[in-house]
Amino acid sequence: MQPRSFQLKSLPLLLGVALGAVAIPAFAHFLVVYTPQTALVRATDLPFHLVFTHAFNGGPSMAMDKPQRFYYAKRSAPNEQIEEVDLARYLEPIQWAGEQGPVSAWKATVPRNVVRSLGDYQIVVEPTPYLEEAEGLYIQQFAKVMVNVGGVPGNWSETLGLPAEIHSLNKTYANWTGGVFRGVVLGNGSPVPYTQVEVEYLNHDLDVANNTFVADGKIDAPHPSLAAIVILTDANGQFSFTLPKAGWWGFAALSVGPENEYNGKPLSQDAILWVQATDLPQ
Amino acid sequence: MKLACTFTAVWLLASSQPLFAHTPLFDCFDNGDDTLTCEGGFSDGASATGVGVRMVDAQGKVLEQGKLDAKGSITFKRPAGGFSVVFEAGAEHALTVLGDDIT
Repeated sequence: MQPRSFQLKSLPLLLGVALGAVAIPAFAHFLVVYTPQTALVRATDLPFHLVFTHAFNGGPSMAMDKPQRFYYAKRSAPNEQIEEVDLARYLEPIQWAGEQGPVSAWKATVPRNVVRSLGDYQIVVEPTPYLEEAEGLYIQQFAKVMVNVGGVPGNWSETLGLPAEIHSLNKTYANWTGGVFRGVVLGNGSPVPYTQVEVEYLNHDLDVANNTFVADGKIDAPHPSLAAIVILTDANGQFSFTLPKAGWWGFAALSVGPENEYNGKPLSQDAILWVQATDLPQ
Repeated sequence: MKLACTFTAVWLLASSQPLFAHTPLFDCFDNGDDTLTCEGGFSDGASATGVGVRMVDAQGKVLEQGKLDAKGSITFKRPAGGFSVVFEAGAEHALTVLGDDIT
């Protein structure tokens, strides 16, 4: 199968052209797993919004079925086993508004008593495959975001055995703006050399009260290649990227998972990792 | 505001240590059943198992004490009146959480 990132038959692209908007690359799908702050001094309720969208452009967004799994993985102490805690019970369906009309998305409020312990929480969304009709394939993006409580490190650097996964070599919640983030793309647990990694800035803040993106973006990209930035992993599957602006940066490695068919159609199993960059205090 | 300032002071004490020098970190939570659980750790991920923790009243009298377990955790019965909990990670590494901050 041709890598999905090279395919141009994309409904968003066609819509973008038809509407006279900036063309949206076919490869810019991102499962956004948003929570406002990932480096917490003390435990608090954790709000999440799960939106399948185009991160830099703040849409168009795609309908998202209930995830197959939504959970966190945590190691409570260096010699303890990693524990997985199901969070699916906290999921609530929402309608995410956008220019193309509302689409189904999800939110969750994970109560403090579930995430009160010090340490790292690797929060994982394993979505139900989404049929991208324009491309005639299903997309399943295994997405991770990490939250730390209290500064005690935990399993931030450990992989979880996902079919498609980005192995973080930096804490995703502890990056100053201008710092270098590093990761390794894994397919079925093995590094994937010379594969594309798409990097997008979450350019539109989430208006979580109204379930939509804020209309105005923070950056006007002068060229499509600066909206959806594409880099390659090296021979060891590793990549690095300097985070130039505070906020959320999404990393996506497409079609790196082992399964390539679902419901009789091609399946792209992608890996998503969200990284939060923080400005140095003045 | 008082509570926030108190906790911030605790955190700043911790953060004033060099990050590479084993900064102690500590917090406590109310379990809602007249007990509270405290957890400790270090910024480099080192285990805090066996580190001493003591609960003292406003006059400094020790109410309870023990050591963190394999998960870096210890549970106390919540006392009546004012109290605080001290994480005894060495002379320069003692951290205190006030009872009023434990929710």
